[in-house]
Amino acid sequence: MTSTPLVLLLVMTLLSAGCASLTPPPGQGMDPRYMLNEATGPSFSEGMGQESPLALSSPLLSSQEPEASERLHRRRGALEAVPAAVPGGVAGDARQSALTAHLAFRGALGDVSGSTRRISSELSRLKVSRRGIAGQAVGIFVRYVEYGEHQLRWIDAELAASSRLATAASEVEDPDMQLALLRLAGPRLEAAMMGSLLLAVWVDFLNLIDVAFKQGFRGVETLFVNMERWRKMLEPSMKALSSLEPGQVEAAANDVPALMGHLSGEFNSTAEHIRVSMKRVEQLIQFAQLVEMVTMLSAMKFSLPSLTPSAPATLGVGLMVGGDGVMMGTRVVVSAEWVEMMRRLVRAGVLSLPAVSATVRIQAGQVMMAESHDELPKGVREALGDGPEVRGMRVTGKAGAGMAEPPEHHVLPREFREWFEKRGFTGEMSIDQFCVKMERARHEALHGGGNWQLGRKWPGEWNQMIMEALREAEAEAGRMLTRSEVLQTVAFHMKRYNLPMNFTSWRGK
Amino acid sequence: MKDGSAWRGNWRVRLYERVRERGYDSLTAFAEARPTASLVALAEELGKDEVAGAQVFGVLVDEADRSHRLTRLVRGQLVRELWESLPEGWPAVLDDANRFKVAMALGSWSAYTPETHKERVKQARAALRAAPPPPGWRPLGPDDELLLTLLPDEEA
Repeated sequence: MTSTPLVLLLVMTLLSAGCASLTPPPGQGMDPRYMLNEATGPSFSEGMGQESPLALSSPLLSSQEPEASERLHRRRGALEAVPAAVPGGVAGDARQSALTAHLAFRGALGDVSGSTRRISSELSRLKVSRRGIAGQAVGIFVRYVEYGEHQLRWIDAELAASSRLATAASEVEDPDMQLALLRLAGPRLEAAMMGSLLLAVWVDFLNLIDVAFKQGFRGVETLFVNMERWRKMLEPSMKALSSLEPGQVEAAANDVPALMGHLSGEFNSTAEHIRVSMKRVEQLIQFAQLVEMVTMLSAMKFSLPSLTPSAPATLGVGLMVGGDGVMMGTRVVVSAEWVEMMRRLVRAGVLSLPAVSATVRIQAGQVMMAESHDELPKGVREALGDGPEVRGMRVTGKAGAGMAEPPEHHVLPREFREWFEKRGFTGEMSIDQFCVKMERARHEALHGGGNWQLGRKWPGEWNQMIMEALREAEAEAGRMLTRSEVLQTVAFHMKRYNLPMNFTSWRGK
Repeated sequence: MKDGSAWRGNWRVRLYERVRERGYDSLTAFAEARPTASLVALAEELGKDEVAGAQVFGVLVDEADRSHRLTRLVRGQLVRELWESLPEGWPAVLDDANRFKVAMALGSWSAYTPETHKERVKQARAALRAAPPPPGWRPLGPDDELLLTLLPDEEA
């Protein structure tokens, strides 16, 4: 496996900087990841002040090993060859960046699918856990397992749609259209990514309760009340994510780390409550060990406070760079490959930086970072692909204060919806997914007659032109065009009209 | 990436400014000096993201209409379409992929034909289908021999 020294160093520096300032004095027995409610803990901003070594300055670049810096340089070069940096000209480069983004997309998709598969099998197991969660109080807890299944369904549906879009992208020849299709899939992947993180926490809760019941805990009422409260905490974010509304998804992504922080606090205190109410010592120890065990299965490696008597020994583990990426003890926080993958997707405008940042914060367990809603430090953002050209690349659909949204327009004319449906434009590939935002004047220039026509004997009205191009191509080929061929043709003509190859989905009624 | 900014303001005025800056007194003259360049290439040479290919074509139609040389422009447009979609020339084998390339080029040609010439272009396309040009055919301009037989000037 290739490593990414720069990225690794950046993330490591970020995390160790955060960790160093937050690690409690030995013996105090406080996990820095669970300091959310500690009034005495140093605030994160103190730890990550202006003096932060994260400023991507000399210490990092004047590496001791000349070889490493050379590798770093080459890697940098490779990374620059990503879409945003390509000045729309050289076809080979554009093709290469589209391929790079596509592979990264597949990788990210695989990651999330892997964790939903694990969640799915956990849920199936819990649902029939007669001695545990499923068997208590005439099965009133089963609804919470089902709630998890319900969430899993939309996440899996979005993953499937993302996968289909990625396949569609791979079938189109035009690299700009390929990227546009991946960007179209971006919000779905993003929602699934964040949703699966939250769902993994939910499974942790279910597991906690399952283990508690199995160990003979009988406080059904307390747990039921808690469960209902957690569900309510989770619900707004899940709803926002599943809406796929880019603005809502992004806002939810920003909130997820804070939510995770609160939930981990809840987990902590509930586990403690259960532990304390366990009377017999051997029962107590067994419970603690079981909690550790079940949460080890958690897809997101949701870091939990250790409840075993040997706890202090495992606390305050610093971050180190290992072969697989950034490690916290034996746990990989984020791998070099993951950072690289995310960087490519952010650079291609497929994933938004806020969502990716939120994921890093969660994986690092630095939930306190979320409290201030601050962005990650500049150096890390850059490692994750941030840059001026990336911002504004994705249409977020934010109707901010006083910011009028330019209207959306169907690139594939609505009057011919059925024509397109027959050629495979349905579901996540329906013509409503292929809208571009254009100011009214430009839109009129495209669609209007009168003063707006392009030539007196050739009006050049977009809808008429594109339909004629498509229909005549079919007549010429003597067959129906495939969906990819239609997209290829549309991409070709969009370039002639100087239309941005950046689609948003139709939000009109 | 295109950003749609070619449509802001008075693009027609902007387009002619760019043409004059390059030493031509008409867009037709500018375009005829580049007979095999695509509309997008012509537009980009005039100003990247300042002019769109479709605008170039619209203005070319207006100029050709005034000088009564629309048929010549239509032939010239096929040259541009072929160079853009079939840069290696007319395919020797019409497999599925090549059939689509030809179809896209000719479909686009029809879409970029003024109303007055649509019917003649249809007939020319039928003639091409009936008797395909030799493999590798790549006309260099509107005066290409085969093109002239397909779509002769009216007065001829």
